[in-house]
This record gives sequence, C-alpha cells and structure tokens, in this order.
Amino acid sequence: MKLLSIFFSPFVFGIGFITPLIAQILMNLTVIEDPIFAYAIGLAIGSALGLMAQFRGSWLWIR
Amino acid sequence: MDQVMTDTDWEGLSSKQLDVMERKIAGKYMRIIPWGAVAWGIGNLFVWLALWPLVLTGALPLWLGFLIATVNISICYLPSHEAQHNIIAGRGQPLRWLNELVGHLSTIPLVSPYRVLRYTHYEHHLHTNNPELDPDYEVHANSSLHFLWKSLLNRQPASERSEAYPNTLQRTGNGHMIIDALIYQVIYLAILFTLAWSGYALEAALLWWIPKHIATTYIEYYLSWAPHHPGHEQGRYKDTRGFRSYFGNILSMGMQYHIIHHLYPRIPLSKTPVAYRDLKPILVRRGCDLGGL
Repeated sequence: MKLLSIFFSPFVFGIGFITPLIAQILMNLTVIEDPIFAYAIGLAIGSALGLMAQFRGSWLWIR
Repeated sequence: MDQVMTDTDWEGLSSKQLDVMERKIAGKYMRIIPWGAVAWGIGNLFVWLALWPLVLTGALPLWLGFLIATVNISICYLPSHEAQHNIIAGRGQPLRWLNELVGHLSTIPLVSPYRVLRYTHYEHHLHTNNPELDPDYEVHANSSLHFLWKSLLNRQPASERSEAYPNTLQRTGNGHMIIDALIYQVIYLAILFTLAWSGYALEAALLWWIPKHIATTYIEYYLSWAPHHPGHEQGRYKDTRGFRSYFGNILSMGMQYHIIHHLYPRIPLSKTPVAYRDLKPILVRRGCDLGGL
C-alpha cells in the first residue's frame, strides 16, 4: 500500500510524465535541441510542479 | 394510452391515476435492447485503440488523433451507463454477458472501472442532490463558469471529490471494488510513464491524458451538473430537470431529457426524447422543472 501511494503521488507523476513531456515539447518546438539539456529543464519543472502538488495538494497552487 | 388526451382530461386525473398513466407510458419504452449503444460502446473503443498504431507509425497526424481521441473518450461513458442500468440485458437474461462486456469495455479510455461506476451511480440515483450521500454532489456549482473552475479544483490531489467514490463504496459495503480503481490507475500510469520515457510523451498526452481531462469535464458538465442544477431539492420529481442546451440534444449527449432517465432508468438513452414528449403533460402536473423544453 505504501508503494502504491508513492506510485500515485504527484511527485512521481511529475518525474514520470511531466518531465519527459516538457523535454519533448521543448525539442519538438526546437526551443532546445540538446536532449540532455531539454530533459534537465523538464526535470526541473516536472519535479518542482510535482513537489508543489505533493505538499500543497494542488497542481495549481490554489485549492 | 390509445386515445388522445386533452388538457381537460389530464386535469381531471387524481395523483394516483397520474401515477398509473405515468408507469403505463414509461413501460412502452422499456425492455428495448439498445443495439446502437452496444455498437457505439465497442466500436468507439476499437477506434480509440486504432489511433495508437496509426499515430505512432505516422499514418495519422497527431493533431487529428488528438481530436478523434477527445471525441472517443467524451462519448465512451454513455454505453457503459446503459449497461450499469441493465438496459442491454438484466441478470439471468441470455444477453447478460453482452451487457457486462459493453459496461466493462466502453469506459477503458476513461480509466474508470465498470463496477465502481455502477455502484456509485446507483447511490447517485438513490440520493440525488443529498450533500452527504450523493457521490456526485461535489460537481454542483452556481453557474457554468463556476462549474469549470470547480471541475479544475475537483481533480487536484487534495480535493474532496477524489474521495467521494471510495467513500461511497466503503459506506455501501462495496469497499472491495476500490481495488478495481487501483488496478486501472496503476496500468494507466504505467502506460503513460513508459510511453513518455520511450520518447512518446506527446502522443501519450494528446491521445489519452489531455483528452481524458477534456472528456471528464464534458461528461460531468452534461451528466452531473446541467440536469441537476441548481441541485437544492431532493425527491422524485424535483432532483432532476429538463433543460435546453445551446448545442442541441446530440452534443449535450441526450441529457436535455435526463429527467426521464432519473424517473425510469431502464428507458434507453435513445428513447428518452420520445418518452419525454409522451410524459410531458404528467411532468407538468407533477411540478417538474422542464426548463422550457
């Protein structure tokens, strides 16, 4: 159950989905061409959003 | 009802006679197998599944896949809804397997398990507009714009809405069905994460994640908010209303006539407009809010 709650956590969603999504959007729009840099940006945004959602209980800050 | 009833005829009927007439009229539209909903539920799932190889191989542009997926997921709930009410076939009937098949398959894109939807939906019918017992009560809002805002807030991790269905299942002794929702959610997230880290994040987002969010808003608006607004009253003739949608009956998923569904849940969706027209004189005398329909 503990493992499941971690898997369902916003932070894991931020890393598991938002990170590669942002990286691939940046690369598709040719904003960033270097994949490592794109994924680093994705990770920074994805993990920050995930942490906010985790501790605030909202992806929008507002609840 | 073989002869045409005039206003005077209706006025002369007692409440009990109206009740008998109501049931007689409604009975004409029940026990009809909605083959269209069967084809819709299964066909719609296969179209959505077909989008994946088509888009991933480049045979279909992603933007078009996104539009089709959004439509697919938006319309996937209603065939399951027919099955939830045993409209395709009840327990013990030869086509019961088909009823259950449609129920289970059609809402896969929505990541919503059939048993969870069915048993929480029965509670919605039993306790419509009850702040404590209606699992869809959190959808209530003062206006369309307020609904959209609440809909955003309702899907945040800490929202009360996310607890409504598990709490309802626990309260009704169906807590074991929460496992269905957990399994669906694990598979959904595992697929999203795997696709995203394999280089297909945009495809996963535009064929499933974003369409599912748009569809959830659309479905909740027309199935939960609009027919029950303002949602202050409870009772057979008071908890659901008729309304006229700017987008017509098809684009509002037939929900203009949702009042018929709440009165007679075994009437197929496709028959609710004609049943409404037949029952309207009685609904008027019962004091229903028909929204100028």
